[in-house]
Amino acid sequence: MTDESLSRREMLEVTAAALAAPLLRAGPAAAAPVTPAALALQGAPKFFTGPEFALLEELSDLIIPTDAHSPGARAAGVAAYIDFRLSDSPDPEQQSTWRSGLAAVEALSKELNGQAFLQGSAEQRVAVLTRMAAGEHDPKTPADHFFQTVKHWTARAYYTSKVGIHADQQYKGNVYQRGEYAGFDAK
Amino acid sequence: MTLVRVAPPLAQDVDLSKTYDAVIVGSGAAGGMAAHVLTTRGLKVLMLEAGKKLPIEQELRSMQWPYDHPRRGDAPPGYHSLSFNEYTIRTPPYAKNSTFKHVMSYVGGWGGSDYVKNILVDEKDHPYSGTKYAWVRARALGGKTNIWGRLALRLSDYDFKGKTHDGYGDDWPIAYADLEPYYDKVDLYLGISGVKENLPHLPDSLFQRPNKLTFGEVKLRESLKKMGRVVTPYRAGVTTDGVKHNRYRSKCYGRGACDRRPGGCDIHAAFDSPTGLIYPAMDTGNLTIRTNSIAHEVLVDSNTGKARGIAFIDSATHQSYEAKAKVVIVAASTLESARLLLLSRSSQHPNGIGNSSGHVGHNFCEHVMGPGVTGLVKDLVGKPPTLDDGLPGGFYIPRFRNLKDRQPGFVRGYGFEGSGGFSIFPGNATGTPGFGAQFKKEVRDHAGAFIGMGAFGEVLARYENYVDLDPDSKDAWGVPVLRFHYQFGDNERKMCEDMVVAGREMFEAAGIEVVGTDEKILTEGWSIHELGTARMGSDPKTSVLNQFQQSHDVKNLFVVDGSSHVSASCQNPTWTIMALAWRSCEYLASEFKKGNV
Repeated sequence: MTDESLSRREMLEVTAAALAAPLLRAGPAAAAPVTPAALALQGAPKFFTGPEFALLEELSDLIIPTDAHSPGARAAGVAAYIDFRLSDSPDPEQQSTWRSGLAAVEALSKELNGQAFLQGSAEQRVAVLTRMAAGEHDPKTPADHFFQTVKHWTARAYYTSKVGIHADQQYKGNVYQRGEYAGFDAK
Repeated sequence: MTLVRVAPPLAQDVDLSKTYDAVIVGSGAAGGMAAHVLTTRGLKVLMLEAGKKLPIEQELRSMQWPYDHPRRGDAPPGYHSLSFNEYTIRTPPYAKNSTFKHVMSYVGGWGGSDYVKNILVDEKDHPYSGTKYAWVRARALGGKTNIWGRLALRLSDYDFKGKTHDGYGDDWPIAYADLEPYYDKVDLYLGISGVKENLPHLPDSLFQRPNKLTFGEVKLRESLKKMGRVVTPYRAGVTTDGVKHNRYRSKCYGRGACDRRPGGCDIHAAFDSPTGLIYPAMDTGNLTIRTNSIAHEVLVDSNTGKARGIAFIDSATHQSYEAKAKVVIVAASTLESARLLLLSRSSQHPNGIGNSSGHVGHNFCEHVMGPGVTGLVKDLVGKPPTLDDGLPGGFYIPRFRNLKDRQPGFVRGYGFEGSGGFSIFPGNATGTPGFGAQFKKEVRDHAGAFIGMGAFGEVLARYENYVDLDPDSKDAWGVPVLRFHYQFGDNERKMCEDMVVAGREMFEAAGIEVVGTDEKILTEGWSIHELGTARMGSDPKTSVLNQFQQSHDVKNLFVVDGSSHVSASCQNPTWTIMALAWRSCEYLASEFKKGNV
């Protein structure tokens, strides 16, 4: 599922952007509003338990929340996509990474807030995620490592969704251009 | 939307009782061109392709949105694409003991493995051994042209006469003037997009409507002009105006599909061998094609020592067959062609056919890649999205090293390929730190502001870089496999160091903030530009083929693919492969009619 291979093109795009990351300002995480279950899941989750799924959905929506510009990860069905991919995965190791990762989030929540993640206030949830994200570039704890996984997959799922491509990125391509190509002439 | 005519059907049963004028092994750029040239001159030709004929439009699905695919483009469970780590840590055969059912080369991990899973070979069935090598193979009608990168460049006398210029290696037995008319023919027959730059080291083609540049690319072009360097729109082997004589191909509509995936164009505006060359050749009535046909020996007439045909195995049934022909044309790709020659041992040709020089498999060269630079165009941060990837490529910076100057650390040179601006997936999404509304806004504001480029450098042809047959290992059809003895050397390493320095310098000069450099050299083979295992030359003792890609030893044997190249140059080879094949096959047809082969 996760593919870390470089390619000629991704070398220029994906990796390039990753290299760019340290220079982009890492601002304080904004407290994301906790929205009620915006979209009811179609049927039960295929891989996760109900509580695991609810936790994943909330985490994804904290990573990419709805803002004034566009809907967030919950509306984009990010958790359902990850659930489908894991149910479809032949790799038990990967499956256990997700299960134990979500458990690590719960453990961290208990440690910081004394209660389950979803029982915490909006501020308390953000505090847990902020702690996990602090180790993003040098992950040490299981929760740090899981932050990387859940963020990577949230981003992949969100920016390949209808919401991500059209509402958020307002991507202009993948269309038939009848006349000239868009862009500037090489003079 | 139907833009192109349906391909002619392949015959169910191919007549193997008759003797064809020519049999061609391989259906990629070289084999397709040989078929085009020979069939239009009236020769009766049989083409053998090891792979299947795929319903290619259904494989490529160029316009499919990620969210309309259940796995957003990924292959089904059980498929795996090799990663840089695997190529680095392990040695071939890479798929050995893999727990995955199917293993593909790294290209499968290139943003859409489901679209190439049937085009690339399964490494499990096609092992190889020896030194590390990322060997990308496509067994299908059309070979790698189904998914090639489309950069279509000419070579110049800086390449053909490289030894004269700098003393290294060997000159080719031809000069640019010999090949120029054939480059022109390829341009006109297949269509190419580009802008004239009048560079002696990168001759212009006969261009159709050019690509455009994005904002950041224009900035770079303007700046490099002051340094005496050039940023030119990607010279794409794509027909941007259409080719009226070809009813299987549409003109390009700037859908950008070719840059979203491992390549491929389901309206065939990008050149591919089936629609560009093979289907029109079939329309002459002179071309017969047999797919699923794995050639494993060039058969020899025991009286004359000449080639008399090809022995092959049906990939599906494992049955053995022979095809008979007056001329054998090998066009199986640089490495597969060398393998086939080496496999063809007989009492007349004990070291493999055409190998009295001992040079088959040697002088193996290619392009080295990996180093690159990424920049941020600050003027673009926060700007509304624009359509930046709706064209068949980004930009190209031609070679600028060792033309008039002499670099202290290395000979020869490199060019950069790159692109800037918005694309369908914001590549910065996985690299931007943090989370929440701030993260989301940062991704959005910066998504179109990046520009990146990576270099392709000439790997020097050296006798000691070679492939031979592994005496102990066979593929799924019982054919001995290749063993690699191939490594980059000091010239490549020094050149790669310079790529990073020069890339940074050019971005900085253009006021583009360098936000990252990549210094890592990718595994040997990564460029998919392997060349030179059966090189041309004037001396039969040190070369395999003459200037018409004709075997010095066996005059009815031709090897018309990249294996014939004497040096790698730093320009992408496909257009040169086709121009050479055109020239050689024109010569062959003329000699054939005179009864000289």
